[in-house]
Amino acid sequence: MKRLSLLIFLLAIAITVNAQKFMTKNGFIGFFSHTAMEDIKGDNNQVAAVLDISTGDMVFQALIKSFHFDRALMEEHFNENYMESDKFPKSTFKGKITNLSSVNFSKNGTYDVTVEGDLMIHDVTNKISTKGTLEVAPEGINANAKFNIIPEDFKIIIPGVVREKINKNLEVTVIMKYAPLAGK
Amino acid sequence: MKLYVKIALGFVVFVALAGILGALYLFNLKHSDMAKAKPDFIVTATVLQKAFEDNETAASKLYINKILEVSGKIASVKPAENKFISISLVTGNDLSSVICTCPAISDPSMLSAGEEITLRGECSGFLMDVLLNNCALIQNKKK
Repeated sequence: MKRLSLLIFLLAIAITVNAQKFMTKNGFIGFFSHTAMEDIKGDNNQVAAVLDISTGDMVFQALIKSFHFDRALMEEHFNENYMESDKFPKSTFKGKITNLSSVNFSKNGTYDVTVEGDLMIHDVTNKISTKGTLEVAPEGINANAKFNIIPEDFKIIIPGVVREKINKNLEVTVIMKYAPLAGK
Repeated sequence: MKLYVKIALGFVVFVALAGILGALYLFNLKHSDMAKAKPDFIVTATVLQKAFEDNETAASKLYINKILEVSGKIASVKPAENKFISISLVTGNDLSSVICTCPAISDPSMLSAGEEITLRGECSGFLMDVLLNNCALIQNKKK
């Protein structure tokens, strides 16, 4: 039954999708915190993302456990104490490019875009809006954005002893290299 | 100063130093080297992907945070940010694979689609594909 519904789902995609959807399974989302005491960096190279150029819809999905830190202990604290990744394994973003008409998808080049949508981290959803760029290239579309988030907005509790080591604002970097989703 | 006070002081200093060194060691500890780590499970990419597709909850319980040694045929090799390499393996499902993210392989050009390969890494879970992190190349056989 599961296979059948998957097949129907895929057929539905195949019918509705042509060159309108772009996808990546190894997109990058990283965050960076700088304080006088310490720089902290977490990188995730396993973000699944879809961009629909007919509507401007953007969807990102990432596993919290895919964030990689240089130090093993940091990764453990990130997963167990702050993100509670066993309880909340995924983070998602569902949004839209609000100025889609200013992008010419048939002409190679870099375009400024504004993206608005719902960012879900730690099972808390917040509206975000950010500026970024879309680069229309021969092999696909590259999307770049940088914005800040505040951990406390997502009910991520950082205890007082450690709080000073982590910037109040985390800088989030998004780099997606989308390829056309071939209709099968 | 009496001898036992000296001994006690020496002991306190020793414990404090050991504590500081131990804390520093733990703080700076890197990830375990997957090339040397003992795998918890040895599976093929097809079996692993099917386990998650059939029952994600059960497979998550079994595999997440475990060290897996996965073998399969390379579907694609893609560069990722910060010099990481993303290798996806062929499974029984054309749209869902096992994606292994490796923190830099000395010569990724030696890997190409169709080759049989064995990788070892930590399982992060399942999105559209089964995701493995911190992977090391164990073996690749030219066909």
